[in-house]
Amino acid sequence: MKIKKFKILVGFLLLFGIGIFYLLNLYNKPLLNIKKSNADISISAQQLLDDYQKDETSSNKKYINNVIQVSGEISDIKVDNGNSVIILKDVNGQSSVMCHMSPEDNLNTLKLKKNDKIVVKGMCTGYLLDVIIVRCVLVNK
Amino acid sequence: MKKRYILLFSILFLNQIFSQEKYLAKDGYISFFSHSLVEDIKADNNQVLSIIDKETGEIAIQLLMRSFLFKKALMQQHFNESYVESHKYPKAKFKGYIINFKDLNKENSNTEIKGTLSIHGKEKEISTIAKVIIHEGEINISGDFMVEVADFNIKIPAIVRNNIAKIIKVTFEIKHKPYLK
Repeated sequence: MKIKKFKILVGFLLLFGIGIFYLLNLYNKPLLNIKKSNADISISAQQLLDDYQKDETSSNKKYINNVIQVSGEISDIKVDNGNSVIILKDVNGQSSVMCHMSPEDNLNTLKLKKNDKIVVKGMCTGYLLDVIIVRCVLVNK
Repeated sequence: MKKRYILLFSILFLNQIFSQEKYLAKDGYISFFSHSLVEDIKADNNQVLSIIDKETGEIAIQLLMRSFLFKKALMQQHFNESYVESHKYPKAKFKGYIINFKDLNKENSNTEIKGTLSIHGKEKEISTIAKVIIHEGEINISGDFMVEVADFNIKIPAIVRNNIAKIIKVTFEIKHKPYLK
C-alpha cells in the first residue's frame, strides 16, 4: 500500500517537474534564429515595394511575421553605432527597402559595394517611407 | 515678356521650396524600459522615422511597433499580439514642436518638446525635457519621458500584472540630416 502511494507521489512530482521545465523553456525561448530558418516568402525588392505602395494593409498581412527573402541591388550602405543598414534600390521612385543587418553579419556587410546584387533574409516589420526589414542576414547564392 | 515673368515666378517658387528646410532621420533610436520586482523588460527600435522643419521647429515621428526587438520571443509575441495589437495599430506616432527652436545652439541645447503621442489608437498630450543639438548640419534630439500604460487603453492580464510596470520609461535618440530629394 505504502509503495503504491509512493509511486503516485513520484509520478506527480515528475509531471510537475516536466511542467515547470516546459514553462521555463517557453519563457526563456530566444528570438527565432533567422540564419537557420527557411524563408517563408521569396521576393524581389521591387515587387515588395510595389505591393506595399499599392496596399499597405494587405501587404502587412502577407509579409509581417514571416521570414522573407529579398533580392535586390544595393543603392547605399550605412553604418552607425555598430548597426549596418543596406538600402535596396527602387527603380520607380524615392522609396527603398531598408535591410537592417544583424550585428553578426557586420563583417560580411563591409565587403559589399554599391550596385552589388544581393539576397538577404529577415523579418519584415512594415512600411514607413520605406519597407523595413530587421534582423537581416546575407544569403549566399 | 510673358516668358520672363514665368521664369521669374518659377525661380521664386523654387526658392520657396528650398527654404523650407526639412531634416530627416530614418534610423532613429527609441527604446522602452519596464522595471518590476519580478523582471526588467527592455525593447529597442532602431528604425524610427522623424522629420523636423527647421523653419518652425515642428517635429513628426513615426515608428512601427513590430520593429521593437525584445530579448525573449514570448515577450515580443505578447507585446505585439495582446498588448499593443500591432495587427490593428501597426504604428505609433508623435506630432509636436520643439519649444524655442530658433534660440537653440551648440551651447544652449536644453529645451522642451510638446505634442501629441498616439499609441494603440489612443492620443495623449505629452511634454518632455529634451536635448536638441544643432551642429554641423545635423539636428540631434535625445531625452527620455514616462508613459502610463493605462493612458493608451493597453490591457495587461492579471497573471503578468506584477511583471510589467504601470509606468514605462521611453528613451529616444534621433540624428537628423538635411533632406535631399
